[in-house]
Amino acid sequence: MDSEFASRRRRELIIAFCLAAIAAVVPLFVKDVYVQNIMVLTLMWGALSQSWNILSGYCGQISLGHALYFGIGAYTTTLLFTKFGVLPWFGMLGGGVISGIIAMALGYPCFRLRGHYFVIATIVIAEIGLLLFHNWDWAGAALGIDIPVRGDSWLKFQFTRSKLPYFYFALGLACVAWFVTWWLEDSKWGYWWRAVKDNPEAAESLGVVVFNSKMGAAAVSAFLVAVGGSFYAQFVSYIDPESVMGFQFSLLMALPAVLGGIGTLWGPLLGAVILIPLTELTRSFIGGSGRGVDLIVYGGLIVAISLARPQGLVGLFAPKRKEAAR
Amino acid sequence: MTAPLLETRGVWQRFGGLVANSDVSISVGRGEIVGLIGPNGAGKSTLFNLIAGVLPPTQGSIIFDGEDVTALPAAVRCQRGVGRTFQVVKSFETMSVIDNVIVGALIRNTVMRDARRKAHQVLEFCGLGPRAHVLASDLVPSEKRRLEVARALATEPKLLLLDEVLTGLTPVEAKTGVELVRRVRETGVTVLMVEHVMEIVMPLVDRAIVLDLGKVLVEGKPTDVVRDPKVISAYLGDRHAVGA
Repeated sequence: MDSEFASRRRRELIIAFCLAAIAAVVPLFVKDVYVQNIMVLTLMWGALSQSWNILSGYCGQISLGHALYFGIGAYTTTLLFTKFGVLPWFGMLGGGVISGIIAMALGYPCFRLRGHYFVIATIVIAEIGLLLFHNWDWAGAALGIDIPVRGDSWLKFQFTRSKLPYFYFALGLACVAWFVTWWLEDSKWGYWWRAVKDNPEAAESLGVVVFNSKMGAAAVSAFLVAVGGSFYAQFVSYIDPESVMGFQFSLLMALPAVLGGIGTLWGPLLGAVILIPLTELTRSFIGGSGRGVDLIVYGGLIVAISLARPQGLVGLFAPKRKEAAR
Repeated sequence: MTAPLLETRGVWQRFGGLVANSDVSISVGRGEIVGLIGPNGAGKSTLFNLIAGVLPPTQGSIIFDGEDVTALPAAVRCQRGVGRTFQVVKSFETMSVIDNVIVGALIRNTVMRDARRKAHQVLEFCGLGPRAHVLASDLVPSEKRRLEVARALATEPKLLLLDEVLTGLTPVEAKTGVELVRRVRETGVTVLMVEHVMEIVMPLVDRAIVLDLGKVLVEGKPTDVVRDPKVISAYLGDRHAVGA
């Protein structure tokens, strides 16, 4: 039944596997720590953008407040580790679960809002979270928290001598985020989300409970983003409110997806592969001459994309769609 | 006589000072094709929305398949067996035709492969088989209408509510549409349709209900209804009713 569809799905899986395998051997040849650092960040932002894409791309609920979940992931892991000695792996899971629950609790009032009103609500809520952490003394307030170095180990997820473990974790995270998206795409949730995005009223008439669909998307999306946040905290080993919950993080999650193709399977990763190295390079070459040059590059890219290819770069790879006879 | 599939009992709908439906009591028997007609602003679409569960009536109750569904939201009514199309087509534009129909099929099929198979069957039934992999936004208007019907049929409804699916089509397209509605009924689905174009709808329906100014004006066999002076005056004004 519809073998064309089945073979397309299989092909996607094979391509992803090949790409992951290629990515996995790259650091064996690229020893430069600076470049490795960029690769870690690229994979991380790719994974984060892929997670953001679940709620905002597939389900169409544009969030510019995902920094909140990123920060909650980072803080949960760090606080559990520094205050109670809980291993980061559990912190990661805990942060994901807490974020998922908070996403649903916030979704309860916010999913009644539509379009721009929803976007504004997400921005405001993330800012409130930022302010709360700024003033929460137990969590280090504005000073932040240093993660004490306890020696390199996978158990404590700390590596001071090599970037490679971080690289492989980030690669794993990107694979998981991609695979979850791939799997959801051909599940009832995937169809419901796209239906909700395109036309909530029609979706409702076909038995889709719109509200629950949005809640599901929010929970999955927030969970994965929080795992990314936990990872980031371990990676930089120092966090403060601005460095894990600032508004720019929300933007950085949205931009790769927008650039690559919002609501598409490959868009976020493609966008991240282009955007993140570009940012890092502009930052190091033009850096020092003033903050924000990288953001100007972003802005320019987004303008160029929206003019030339509003459906995202992924459209360049898509087979030409036959025009309907009119 | 067996219990009707759908019954509205004394349904009122007010929007502020505007009374869109006043004391509407209609019933639709199993296996019937019933036409809901009336001039613009008669309250047909409002009544449709009340039956589909888009909004609750201000007063009155709606009985479907022996159950009071007045308080149930649209998604749950779909689960119970009410399928509908929209007067202004609401396709999922960024999705392919087959994916549009799969959304409907998922309510009765939890396994994706079954839902996909069901969707393909429904598309064939509606004559959209060759267009399955086209984006919904690329369909021509008459195809979009059929997609609306296909999507609703994929939910395996007991009652199908058709909101002006034949309006605005060319005579040939409308004829195909009429055939489709007949075939839908043959599969055991009850049809309640709102329609403007009398000459198309009258030969099709078993019974016609005429709404005017939010009230049931007349109901009966289509041939009787079109001759009824009250109907003629509602549509054309009193002057034309005198000679009838």
